[in-house]
Amino acid sequence: MWNNRCKVAVSGVGFSKKTRTDEVHLAEHALTAVKAAVEDSGLKLTDIDGLATFPELRGGGGRIPLVDGVSHVSVNCMLAMLKLPNPRWHIQGETVNIGGAFQQAANAILAGVCNYAVIWRAMHNRRAPYYGLTRENAAGPRQFSEPYGFSGPGGMSIAYMRYLELYGQQREKMATLAVTQRKHANKNPNAHFYKTPLTVEEYLDSRMISHPFCLYDCDIPVQAAYAMVLTTAERARDLKPKPAYLAGYGQRMVYNGEGMIDSLEDWMAGTKSSAPLTWEKSGLGPKDVDVAQIYDGFSSSVIYGLEGYGFCGEGETLDFIQDGRIELDGELPLNTFGGSLSDGRMHGIGHLVEGVLQATGRAGERQVKNVEVSFVGASMTQATTFVFVPNPY
Amino acid sequence: MTMSDWSKVKRPIPVPDEMTKPFWEAAKRGVLVVQHCRRCGHWQHPPYPTCENCMSVDLKFDPVSGKGTIYMYSLMNHAGDERFAPVVPYARIIVEPDDAKGALLVANLLDAPYTEAKIGRRVEVVFEKLNDEITLPQFRLAK
Repeated sequence: MWNNRCKVAVSGVGFSKKTRTDEVHLAEHALTAVKAAVEDSGLKLTDIDGLATFPELRGGGGRIPLVDGVSHVSVNCMLAMLKLPNPRWHIQGETVNIGGAFQQAANAILAGVCNYAVIWRAMHNRRAPYYGLTRENAAGPRQFSEPYGFSGPGGMSIAYMRYLELYGQQREKMATLAVTQRKHANKNPNAHFYKTPLTVEEYLDSRMISHPFCLYDCDIPVQAAYAMVLTTAERARDLKPKPAYLAGYGQRMVYNGEGMIDSLEDWMAGTKSSAPLTWEKSGLGPKDVDVAQIYDGFSSSVIYGLEGYGFCGEGETLDFIQDGRIELDGELPLNTFGGSLSDGRMHGIGHLVEGVLQATGRAGERQVKNVEVSFVGASMTQATTFVFVPNPY
Repeated sequence: MTMSDWSKVKRPIPVPDEMTKPFWEAAKRGVLVVQHCRRCGHWQHPPYPTCENCMSVDLKFDPVSGKGTIYMYSLMNHAGDERFAPVVPYARIIVEPDDAKGALLVANLLDAPYTEAKIGRRVEVVFEKLNDEITLPQFRLAK
């Protein structure tokens, strides 16, 4: 087991108020979220001395103009806004998405190079066709895919199709995931679809986007920022909320080259390479988990997480999720905040925040009873995994 | 079941570069080539400056028979890209060539309704001329 388990804790979380697109510019979202996380911890902004983020610099397939503060919120941008009296450490990740930035901040806290680190993820949603192709020519790696009309949801839909045919499964069963997660979101005041229910009939009747994905298999793009404050376990115990202790974490260790098509087998290899690191550090396993947040940018992403992290066998997800198993009072409550599908496309920080709230009894109406072990699998392509616990060991 | 009429689509034209030129030159001559690592024997597509298996730069394009299998596919039901609107819904297939296992090529399934796309189906290469410079490798069901 990891010598440093439960030595780092999340002391607070914060959100901005989601907008559908960029009517509120992204820097403002990020600042709101950071201030909220700091206040939630019972700290002052001037206490913050560490900054960590992952700004998506190739958003929209590289077609969105990069403007700091508008399309992404870099460390530079946050330093400029916060004007911290005592900044001592920062990281701006290029790989491993926001889970990786969180892990770097945990490492910095453990190394003693900063006292209170804030992590934020700001997601940009421009007012424009989402992932639309517009150019006459296809250059670079896209010369082998765009001429065939292959883009956007194509990347994930092909692997899901292979999964369905290989295991003789039916896409209709995924309705249970979408509908259950929407029920969870209907108890989450921060969720995009807080006030909008979803029925199985609506899922089955909805328009196909890229078969086997229908509308409700795709997450809802939003403009928002979430943030978290990380510190040592000792300092966290002096602060306001109950600390969420980090018992272990892992990262994906298997990757394809850039521009390569990701196969079903690649997604599975990715998730399978991450969870063992978390289980080894924490000394826990899937059977110990009381509540799980598993990345769901597309509904099929949940398959690679549930199966790759070891919660069920390969080919079993679409049956595993039935019969109330993933409901709040089920055997494995899943994506209890609504997930990316119903809370909003936040690339994994939503899952991290909910993992913390569930671990500390602060998930309000959607709180799962008696949570001792809270698992998070954040951001599909990077498969960062985490375990949070309310009671250090 | 109606088949897509691809003549109605204004496809984006591939722009060959130094590394990808051999692929497009071969396609113009009606030959499908795939990048092959001289050091470890790994096949890969799209082409890349290094072998993704062993990182060697000793790569060449080798011809393949053009026969393969549909490894993955999905349908496009949504006309997000207006140029492809006339053929929605259509299949995007991912083909693994018999001679280049591990390499995955994006293509459309020509001369067949999109419902014919299935995992494991046998296909063979055909060539679709876009203009004097570019011919696109495509696939149809194997005879």
